[in-house]
Formats: sequence, structure tokens, C-alpha cells
Amino acid sequence: MKKLQLEICCGTSCFMLGADKLLNIENDMPTELRGKVEIRALPCLELCNDSKLGGAPYVKLNGEIIEKATCEKIFDRMRELLDASPL
Amino acid sequence: MNHDFFVEMESFQFTKTGQAACGDDIQMEVLKNENRYLAVLSDGLGSGVKAHVLANMTTTMALRFLRSNMDMLQSIETIMDSLPVCEVRKISYATFSMVDIRLGGITRIVEMGNPQYIQLRGDEEVPPISHKTVTSSHWPDRQVECYEIKLELGDRLIICSDGVTQSGLGEGSAYKFGWCRSGELAFAQEAIRQKADISSYALARTISYKALNISKNVCKDDISCLVIYLRTPRVMRVLTGPPYYKENDAEFAAQASLGEEHTLVCGGTTANIIERAVQKKVQIDLASLKAGASLPPAGRIPGVALVTEGILTLTRVCRALEDHEPLDTLPAPARAIIDMMMQHDRIEFIVGTKVNEAHQDPTLPQDLELRRGMIKRISTALNSLYRKETKVNYY
Ligand code: FES
Repeated sequence: MKKLQLEICCGTSCFMLGADKLLNIENDMPTELRGKVEIRALPCLELCNDSKLGGAPYVKLNGEIIEKATCEKIFDRMRELLDASPL
Repeated sequence: MNHDFFVEMESFQFTKTGQAACGDDIQMEVLKNENRYLAVLSDGLGSGVKAHVLANMTTTMALRFLRSNMDMLQSIETIMDSLPVCEVRKISYATFSMVDIRLGGITRIVEMGNPQYIQLRGDEEVPPISHKTVTSSHWPDRQVECYEIKLELGDRLIICSDGVTQSGLGEGSAYKFGWCRSGELAFAQEAIRQKADISSYALARTISYKALNISKNVCKDDISCLVIYLRTPRVMRVLTGPPYYKENDAEFAAQASLGEEHTLVCGGTTANIIERAVQKKVQIDLASLKAGASLPPAGRIPGVALVTEGILTLTRVCRALEDHEPLDTLPAPARAIIDMMMQHDRIEFIVGTKVNEAHQDPTLPQDLELRRGMIKRISTALNSLYRKETKVNYY
């Protein structure tokens, strides 16, 4: 199976609301998750204007949106996905 | 004005190690209506604040006299009469070089006590000719060298203080007499051979850094280098903000046509519009990602543009330009933008006027200024403080 795909938004709203703290995520990653994800930074995921969503910062993990993203939230979801289908 | 000419005047300085102020001063001015470009470099005797005041007095007076077309000898006498005189050496306390370029006409250069100017056509030197030495009856032992030269498109003038030509003096065999004008000339020629269109901004910097390097990175005398380059204007385009009407996206994106070195895209949504139009993805270097950075990282659309976040980055750039903040103290994306701007002569802003609703969100920790106003400020600063030609188009 392919590595997980993580896209971090670096747009204005996301950055101001906490994406700056996600930029080091690769180094902060718990050992069991290392090497299992491919990380990309993107200019704006164009979710910030969508009032139906829960709020920035946004990231996408394998295409699925994580709202108000924090490193912990992302790690949790990575674990779930990896448990469901291990690499 | 002939719009195919741009006179790029840029300078760089190092202050003598341990001094609070640079004892050299450089001033430049563009007289658009007369098609004239003026520059003065002065070196105040000694160093530090006192030297700086003397040098600054000199450049200010010289520029005023140049501007008003006052007779050369008379101007020089007035300057020398007003400067204090050194008790021991009985010479006035500052040396200077003055340049008066008339596009399509004659360029006059006047030097008193400063190293002789260098004129380059491509990498070839055009040796100083049509030279006249005048002495003032007030100051019989001071000689003033006057030149009348013709500048052509592609020519460069290099003027410096003796901190450049004398760098390395006494540093052992290689530079017994210092770097000298000949060393500086050869270095500049090599720099041009390496990069034929090197900007004045870059050339003034490399020459100054080399001079510093020759004196083992200790600045023993103030180093100042002024470079003037007559070139076809280098145009840079800044695209920022989505157009007000979505139908105009394609036309807007088509402006990103000058190549990566000359195009800047500011803003996430804008980047997405360009991405779609050119069918290439933005690449953000993961190594540039740092937690706690004050600005979002810059990226690139290969071959097309440098890409940065929008309003936070522009706000930072604006402040740095207005306050003349040193480049190396700025966050990387702001530094990259200013560096790009300084390498260009004419800067065109293509501004989409759609307001990003998300930026009006009251939960954001900081009020975001509107893009239009910010661009206006940047454009004004570039124009009035950095002699750039600017143009703003709205979409
Ligand atoms: S800024 Fe992150 S989705 Fe727009």
C-alpha cells in the first residue's frame, strides 16, 4: 500500500490559526508513525471560505479533511488509518 | 523619457568595524523631467559619527549644486570652503565623487580625492579620457578631476571610496598596496563575465564583500561602492489576489508570463488560479518548513513564479521597505521578495480585488489590511525610496 498522504495548508487563515505549529510535524512524529506518511505543504486548500466546516487550520489526510488540525489529531487519525490497512 | 532605458543606481556599504556610523555617504536622485540622474559619494576624513556628518554635509551640498546646474568649480569651492579643515594636513575634511548623467547627452564626473571611477562596456573597460584637472585659487593643493564621457546602453560606472581600493593594504605579499583600482576592475570584469546582466544592486554587493574579504573580514576603513548601470528595464510582475469576477481568472493568470525569475505570486488562492492555468503544481520545499516561523513558507511553480502567502507576507515586506530593514534580518519569504524587487527596475502589480471572506473572520488573531491598500504602500515605497518605476493594474 502507498504511504499516507498528508497535505498541510499554509494559507493565511490556516497559518494564523495554528498551521505554523504543524510545519514541524515530521520531526514531532512518534516513532511508530515515521516513514509512513508523505507530507506536502499547499498554498490554500480553499476550505477557509466554507462556513459549513469547523474551522482552520485545515489539513487533508488521504484526501479527508481534518478541521482545527493539531499534530495530535493528525497522529490519531493516522493510527486509525494504519490500523485499518497497515502499510 | 525614453522608456527603453533604465538607469539603475545602487550602492552598498560596510561601516568600519567598531564604529557606530559609516564615515562615507552616498546620495542619489532622479530628475525625471530633465532626464537626469545624479549621484554623489563622499568619504569623510577619519571614521565614525564625525566623518559621517562631514560626508553627509558634502553629499547634500553637492547634490543641491548638481541639481541647480551650478558651475562646477564654484560648487566645489563652496563645498570645500564650508568644510572644516584638518589642522595637520591643511586639507578639507571630505573627499567626493559626483556624477551627473544626462540620458542621450553628456555625463559629467567630478572627483576630488576619491579613487578614479571605472567605466565598463560589457566586460571591457572604457578608460577615462577627456580629462581636465582644475585647481581652485582657494585650495591650490587640492586637485579636482573633471571628466565628460558618453554612456551607452549596457554601460556601467563603478565609484567607490578608498576603503575598497585600499582594502588588504599591508596584509602581506598579495596586497602590499591594497586591492587597488586594478584589482577591483579585474574583479568587476570577471563578475560581468560570469553574469552578463548582473544588476548594480548585486555588483555593488559582491565588490563590497570582496573588499571586506580581502581585509580578512575586518573592516578597517568604511567601504562604499556605488554602481550605475544603463540597461533595458528589467520588468517584474507581482500577481496577487483573485480577480473580482471569476471569468477574468484566465486573463489574470496569463500575466504570469515573464518566467520564474521575474514573477511573484502572492496569496494561496492566487497560487491556485495560476496552478490551474499553467497546469503545474506549487512546490514548497519541506526543508524550509519550520514550526514557529513568522511567515508561511515560500514555494515555486517551476519555471513560472516564486510563490508566497499573501497579506501577512506583503505586510512584512512593506514594513521592511519603508524602514530600510537589513535583508538578512528578515524572514526568508520576505527576503526573497525584496531581493527579487531590488533586481528589477520596473515592477508591475496585477491586483485582483476580490475580498477574501475568510479574512474578515473575527476569530483571526490580527486585523488584516486589505490588499489594495497594502500594494499601494509598497508601490509608493519602491518608487520614492528605491527609485523603481511601478504600475498597478486592478482586476
Ligand atoms: S487558508 Fe487554509 S484553506 Fe485557505
